[in-house]
Amino acid sequence: MTHASTLTEKILARASGRDRVVPGDELWAVADRMIMNDSSGPRRLGRLVEELGGVLDPEKVVIVSDHFVPAATLRHAEILRETRRFAGAHGIRNFFEYRGILHNLVIAHGLVSPGKLLVGADSHTVTAGALGAVAVAVGSTELATIVASGEIWLRVPETIRVDLDGALPGLCDVRDVTMRLLGDLGTEHALYRAIEWGGRWINEASIEDRLVLANQGIEMGAKNAIVEPTGILPQAMRDAGLPVIEHEFLVADPDARYSERHRYDVSTLEPLVAVHPSPDEVVAARALEPTPVDMAWIGSCAGGRLADLHAAAEILRGKKARVTMLVTPATQDIYLAAASDGTLATLAAAGATVLPPGCGACAGVHNGVQGAGDRVIATATRNFPGRMGSREAEVYIGSPYTVAASAVAGRIIDPREVAEHGARRDA
Amino acid sequence: MKSRMEGCAWVFGRRVTTDDILPGRYLDRSNDEVGAFAMSGIDSEFAKKVQKGDFIVAGPNFGAGSGRESAPYALLHAGVAAIVAPSFGRIFFRNCINLGLPPVIVPDVAGIEQGHALIADLEARRVVDRATGAEYPIQNLTGISLSIIQAGGIVPFTRRRLEEKRART
Repeated sequence: MTHASTLTEKILARASGRDRVVPGDELWAVADRMIMNDSSGPRRLGRLVEELGGVLDPEKVVIVSDHFVPAATLRHAEILRETRRFAGAHGIRNFFEYRGILHNLVIAHGLVSPGKLLVGADSHTVTAGALGAVAVAVGSTELATIVASGEIWLRVPETIRVDLDGALPGLCDVRDVTMRLLGDLGTEHALYRAIEWGGRWINEASIEDRLVLANQGIEMGAKNAIVEPTGILPQAMRDAGLPVIEHEFLVADPDARYSERHRYDVSTLEPLVAVHPSPDEVVAARALEPTPVDMAWIGSCAGGRLADLHAAAEILRGKKARVTMLVTPATQDIYLAAASDGTLATLAAAGATVLPPGCGACAGVHNGVQGAGDRVIATATRNFPGRMGSREAEVYIGSPYTVAASAVAGRIIDPREVAEHGARRDA
Repeated sequence: MKSRMEGCAWVFGRRVTTDDILPGRYLDRSNDEVGAFAMSGIDSEFAKKVQKGDFIVAGPNFGAGSGRESAPYALLHAGVAAIVAPSFGRIFFRNCINLGLPPVIVPDVAGIEQGHALIADLEARRVVDRATGAEYPIQNLTGISLSIIQAGGIVPFTRRRLEEKRART
């Protein structure tokens, strides 16, 4: 019998003080980081934490107000105030508001690193798996118990391994990769299981692209999604000013046991769209029947990255959006970078409205929510009915290229069509 | 909590999401307020019709999507005693255990119809449909998760654990 382990098994073994764990083991693990937002955080768990004896280690806790900033209602303002009060009262230094989305900030500020166990109250907590950590979402009540006790109970999941090879074609994005997988496997396929991303394409993948791979694991139902911290990652982390502790970097054993394996050559991909009302109803953008839209939106933890803004600007440069176009940078730093390099000017010149950093319309709270009958194409994280507002609104998901091209066309379109027209006009 | 529960079935289809169970527009409400909006994404009358102790019976992946804890709170405060389904959205599933609302996995719920009287017995590990006499074996709720449900949820469970830990040190 071998002792080979998947990456998730290795990290859970370390965090629970065991030599080895196998799928199905139930264990108590020490969490290295505990993250929450203004919706899931102090307003729901503050009193419980205090009842259970307070915050065990404030250095491990991260709180970000990202759902309700800027306040659109008095209630939002009260929630933001309570969030701020709790962070101050408990000495939590890693508290951010008006800085952007929790999941993006955790990565950008080095609050997760390879080999760690992170837990958080928000489904997209899985995003932190981008840096080779196990990142697991829990509810607010449970997070209160973890913040007070330092420990979480976990069942060791089986792991699905996905290897990516090849080079992405032009005007395709990592989002086309995750949509292909969602289309092939569905939203329930990975329930209770881990997804482990690896392969040659991953070796060269940026932190931003790894973030999307991890983030979209939750839409496949996964407990956690983890990207092997291989290839350029250590250098990319250094370049981003993040601490690199190489002996903590864990990778899967070559003969680890997986519940299944998938291999994709990303060079065969083309621009895809997830059709309302599910992230796994995926079709080629070029094959979609004529679908006019009322709005195009670039934003969310998976779709408001600097790379997304750059991709949108690449399409929109010198063109006009025919429909409402909103852009929500995921973080203030992304906003600043896009302002400094001219991207925001390009987007604004094309008619886009640039909104404050945060979750924005993706959470269906404010800043671009959709009414009955509205149809939007967006880089949102998911498109279940009612996700971005009314249940009678339709949300289609595309890469930033596809979203921007659709804004220009006024209907959902393969971005290669708009780019070709642009090239001809420019010539 | 009681290990044996009796109630009527409210039947729903596959992949009912947390946006269906509690739409995002109620995210700014407190946990105590959301019972009145339970299932309002698909049935705005559900909270009025459901009786305390009733069961939800649903298709695969019940509670998919957003991890909002207000979704299981909505069901709990609306009076739902247990949810029976072949599979659950993982975070929702965990939230239910942690709130002491049993998420009961049985492989096939197709025979259970709207309004059937059900018995769920966590110790005998079965759900019985009194209308048909059919028995459904419970596939989950052992070990730590059963202990948490029996303690009434993760909060009383943790309180006891912390007390034991402090007593030892």
